[in-house]
Amino acid sequence: MGLELNFRIAPRTKIIILAIISFMVFNDVPMYVSGILVLIPFVCLFFSDYKKAAVIYILAYVIAKYLQMAVLPNATGILAIVLITFSYTATRMLPILMMGYYTIMTTKVSEFIASMEKSNVPKDITIPVSVVFRYIPSVFEEIRSITKAMKMRGFGFTFKSLKSPLKMVEFYMIPILISAVKTSDELSAASLTRGLSNPKKRTNLISVKFNKFDYLFIAISIAGIAVYIYYLCGGALIA
Amino acid sequence: MSERLNVKDLITVGIFSVIIIVLIFIFGMLGYVPILMIALPILAALICGVPYMLFLTRVSKFGMVTLMGLIMGIVMFLSGHTWVPIVTFTVCAFIADCILKMGNYSSIKNSIISHGVFIIGIMGNMLPFFILKDAFMSAMRTSMGNDYVNVVAPFLQTNVLIVLFILTFICGLISAYIGKLVLKKHFERAGIA
Repeated sequence: MGLELNFRIAPRTKIIILAIISFMVFNDVPMYVSGILVLIPFVCLFFSDYKKAAVIYILAYVIAKYLQMAVLPNATGILAIVLITFSYTATRMLPILMMGYYTIMTTKVSEFIASMEKSNVPKDITIPVSVVFRYIPSVFEEIRSITKAMKMRGFGFTFKSLKSPLKMVEFYMIPILISAVKTSDELSAASLTRGLSNPKKRTNLISVKFNKFDYLFIAISIAGIAVYIYYLCGGALIA
Repeated sequence: MSERLNVKDLITVGIFSVIIIVLIFIFGMLGYVPILMIALPILAALICGVPYMLFLTRVSKFGMVTLMGLIMGIVMFLSGHTWVPIVTFTVCAFIADCILKMGNYSSIKNSIISHGVFIIGIMGNMLPFFILKDAFMSAMRTSMGNDYVNVVAPFLQTNVLIVLFILTFICGLISAYIGKLVLKKHFERAGIA
């Protein structure tokens, strides 16, 4: 399949789609409106080596949607609240989370900076945002290793530790902050050697031109948002 | 605005935005318990004092705090809150920045007050619930069921909003003070504050 080999969309396209999807999640719309935009992250993940994540995502979404439509209108009690929580999270947040996951995992920092520079976004915004994209996964990695280290010394997540939640917060927060300070120093040194503070325009190896997939995806998502707005306005006019 | 921000400052802004955002998200998970959703800004205010105070030890130029507010707003927007947080975070961070400027970036009193103002920006995550109350309630009734709405509904009043603003501000002050103490206990000894 030639499609899989060439599938690569530009960072700007990813950000446009991310913005459009996050615009959509807040209102409740019927299936035929949101369906297109739900499928976009699935397609993106499926054709770029994240097949497992894509399948899990679509299964979770379908189950949640089914729960929401078929089970919940009649359910009451505590169980209902748990189910509601699950279906609400899955149907509202899952598309945007998966799109964010895809964007973070597949965008290289230099790619991101190159494409932002092309659309004339000032450096004061691109550098912090690229640090944010890069650093979010490593924070979670750090949280995982702190948990392991704490287990080794006998502070796990047990009932005993839940008695003093403030202490747990302290135990997690201090190492994260210390490593954050260290990381920021190291990153500054690294950026100095790469000449990021050079005021001249940078040259880039990677080309970030739009290809046919970009135009296709932007067209689909703009069509989706158009249907969405039409539905909202139409609904308002009827009501 | 006399001196421009250099790359080191920008990286510091990015790193600390990540820390604060991750903390807000982790504690935001508690929002799925109906009552706590309303109390979310207060929780966030209580948590964010320590990283914010550590951040301030590395701030000495006008614009860094404002930039951090903008970045946090953008990340909030991209993660499924509406566009409102971008505005509130930026405005609150700008005011906080001005307060810091008045204290010449070294006054402890001003840093504590500025955290109180800065953290009010998180109310932007809540404001849509209050402004679009009716539309939101009907949408919630279909998506989250009657039980949830019946629990949350009495809290979505204007005077609750005002109380929430004040409480968030006060909690911001308290947690900034705690942050100062933690800074003394852990970071100054380690030589990084």
